[in-house]
Amino acid sequence: MRLSRQSIVMLVTLVTVLSVWWLSTTGLRLINPLRLPSPEDVGTAAWQIMTKGFAGGTLWVQALHSLQLVAKGFAVAIITGVPLGLLMGWSRRAEILLNPTFLLLRPIPALAWIPLAIVWFGLGDTGKIFTLWLTAFVPNVINTFTGVRQVDTVLIAAARTQGASTGQIIRHVVVPGAMPHIFTGLRLSLQASWTTLVAAELVGAFFGLGRVLNVAGQDIYPGMILVGMAAVAICGAATTWVLGHVERRVISWRPAL
Amino acid sequence: MIKNKNFLGPSGTVVPTGEFWLLSLLGVALLFGVWTGVAVSGVMPKHFLPTPLDVALRLQELIVAPFAGFLYHQHMLASIQRFLMGWAIAVGIGVPLGLLMGWYRLLDEIVTPLFDAVRFVAPLAWVPLAALWFGTGIGGPLLIIFVGSFAPCLISAYRGARLVETRFVEAGQTLGASSAQIMRHVLIPGAFPSIIAGLRVSAGLGWQSLVGSELIVVGAGLGYLMVQGQGNISTTTVMAGMLGIGLVGFLIDVALRAAEAAVKRRWGMAT
Amino acid sequence: MSDIVFSAITKRFGDPKTGFLALDHIDLKVEEKEFVAVVGPSGCGKTTLMRMAAGLDFPSTGSVTVGGKEVERPGPDRSVVFQQFALLPWKTVRQNIGFGLMCKGTPRKEMDEAIAHYVELMGLQGHEESFPHMLSGGMQQRVAIARAYVMQPDVLLMDEPFGALDAQTRIIMQEELVRLARKNPRTVLFITHGVEEAVYLADRVVVMGKKPGRLLEVMDIKSHRKAENWEGMAIEEVMDLPTFVHLRSHVWKLLKSKDAGGTGDH
Repeated sequence: MRLSRQSIVMLVTLVTVLSVWWLSTTGLRLINPLRLPSPEDVGTAAWQIMTKGFAGGTLWVQALHSLQLVAKGFAVAIITGVPLGLLMGWSRRAEILLNPTFLLLRPIPALAWIPLAIVWFGLGDTGKIFTLWLTAFVPNVINTFTGVRQVDTVLIAAARTQGASTGQIIRHVVVPGAMPHIFTGLRLSLQASWTTLVAAELVGAFFGLGRVLNVAGQDIYPGMILVGMAAVAICGAATTWVLGHVERRVISWRPAL
Repeated sequence: MIKNKNFLGPSGTVVPTGEFWLLSLLGVALLFGVWTGVAVSGVMPKHFLPTPLDVALRLQELIVAPFAGFLYHQHMLASIQRFLMGWAIAVGIGVPLGLLMGWYRLLDEIVTPLFDAVRFVAPLAWVPLAALWFGTGIGGPLLIIFVGSFAPCLISAYRGARLVETRFVEAGQTLGASSAQIMRHVLIPGAFPSIIAGLRVSAGLGWQSLVGSELIVVGAGLGYLMVQGQGNISTTTVMAGMLGIGLVGFLIDVALRAAEAAVKRRWGMAT
Repeated sequence: MSDIVFSAITKRFGDPKTGFLALDHIDLKVEEKEFVAVVGPSGCGKTTLMRMAAGLDFPSTGSVTVGGKEVERPGPDRSVVFQQFALLPWKTVRQNIGFGLMCKGTPRKEMDEAIAHYVELMGLQGHEESFPHMLSGGMQQRVAIARAYVMQPDVLLMDEPFGALDAQTRIIMQEELVRLARKNPRTVLFITHGVEEAVYLADRVVVMGKKPGRLLEVMDIKSHRKAENWEGMAIEEVMDLPTFVHLRSHVWKLLKSKDAGGTGDH
């Protein structure tokens, strides 16, 4: 099998970066291991957290804890945000009535709710789910709203002339028409959710990948910090991949790009 | 008789101006009414959920009396300054790198796998590493803001550079332009609308990351003010901090939207 | 009864007293099972007229009745074919054609039979499970016409249905429409830009002017068609007949006249 030019360049790049990393740490000891861990340090840390555990649990326990929090917050945000976006999109009066609230909520980043969530709910899971809900809720409402408004009016008119009721129009015209925008909102809010969760767990938590990062930072354990970062990235990439898969299934009618 | 029936949803609805203002006022009243109502009812203890008035009074207090070491607007300025520095670094590196990646295939092939490898690390996950590298200095938050706002700068500049149609470049070449002239008069203006759109996204993300980093590492700023408020269970302080963060975020967005609209107008694109 | 009657229609957009006068005192009757084409320059309000019959727009003064009943809402008794096809991109050809029947709650078997009938009539066999974006413009408009016919409407309203098609496809679709109209006569209000199309298809041609939108002349075509047996000829033969050429240039002159308010080039 012949490799494409692109994959050769990619391989060379990755090998170069890894060798420079190894040489500057283990090989030539150019960098203080307390600033940048060597590949071996990272390997040891990874082995430790996978087998014995770290900061109160193995990697699986910590990752699953974070994953289920993101999933719960995300689910609650979809259940509440998408219908509200549909309502505000379909009814101008609902939009005008709720607009002041969103003008106030929209510019406040979800991360800024973390201290309030701690005051209200403490350091447990409830506060995290609350913050995650807020993270995903606002983009879901806004993108669903935009999606509804971008549904071609002629499609609604055509459905009306065929005798569709308002309910049938929402179900067969508005929701599918808004679906690409709804998924844009989901993609944006999924990435934001991981940022929020890591921040919330860094500020204070009993479990989770953010907790791993926090303890590793306090213990000045550079290897474990990199393992924590990698775990966050893998979880983020995996959830994004799943969402992309769902999107392609749901919007299968769309012409391929 | 004038009929105004709506069978077409939002685009068929015309809300008269009078009703618009009435509904808007009702919306504002509803927001503050429900908030105040719940706060006064005692469902939640007063120090957990203050009324809007309590927050306003606390804000006034924070402006004249120092809290967590500084006055309110000093915290705000510290945050803005930090944000501008981190964001400027992200723009200064991200945009040129993105443009070069768009024009030189080899660079694209080298950077893309590295970028993809770190893209999914949530910006806040860099906090412990930033602490390791920079201690409690300014470098830590700057790194977080940089990481938070870098990706959209790079991606939008890259897309902008790729989007400049070959025919413009060819037209320039047939007219005898040198490569420096083509870069200056064709490639950079062609990529500009995409870049400015990316800057808006990146500023929003950078501002968020700043808030996150201030919750964790620094000694001044709106995020720090909130953390201190949270420690003292002073909900009014926390909410006053949120208002300031929202206000600055809003103003950043307004400024960049205006810039985006101006650029689109100048290049004759539909807004 | 399924005649369309516009009586004393005016339409102003914006302010009901001072707003833009789109239609000024229109009186028009489309008889039962008659094919009436409306031609006029852009902005003469011909599409607004059709939308009023569909129940998607309403006159400022005057009334529109279909079959003696005032039009108050859109409904499946008046099918509309839009210029932009207006197919649901997320539904297959079969689902698009069957959408109106599904809304009505037609039983499955009956629905399948009706869809199959019109799929065959419009030459859409083999495309039943395709999504609209996979079809050419001409095929998409066939689906839209099948969707209109499957409802067995008394009235067909067509808003420049061939406007988005290329010249060749348009001719094929025009012949197709004549075939359908003969097989299955309906009351048709056909809005178009194309003068030849109007004269070729319609029993009567209504010529409109703009600023404000109003009727300039209503021309009888049916008597000529009957006398010369157009329906037995190919479209290009009809278009070479002296009568046809004469009728066509008469419409052109009307549209170019000062009265029409248009420049005539469209």
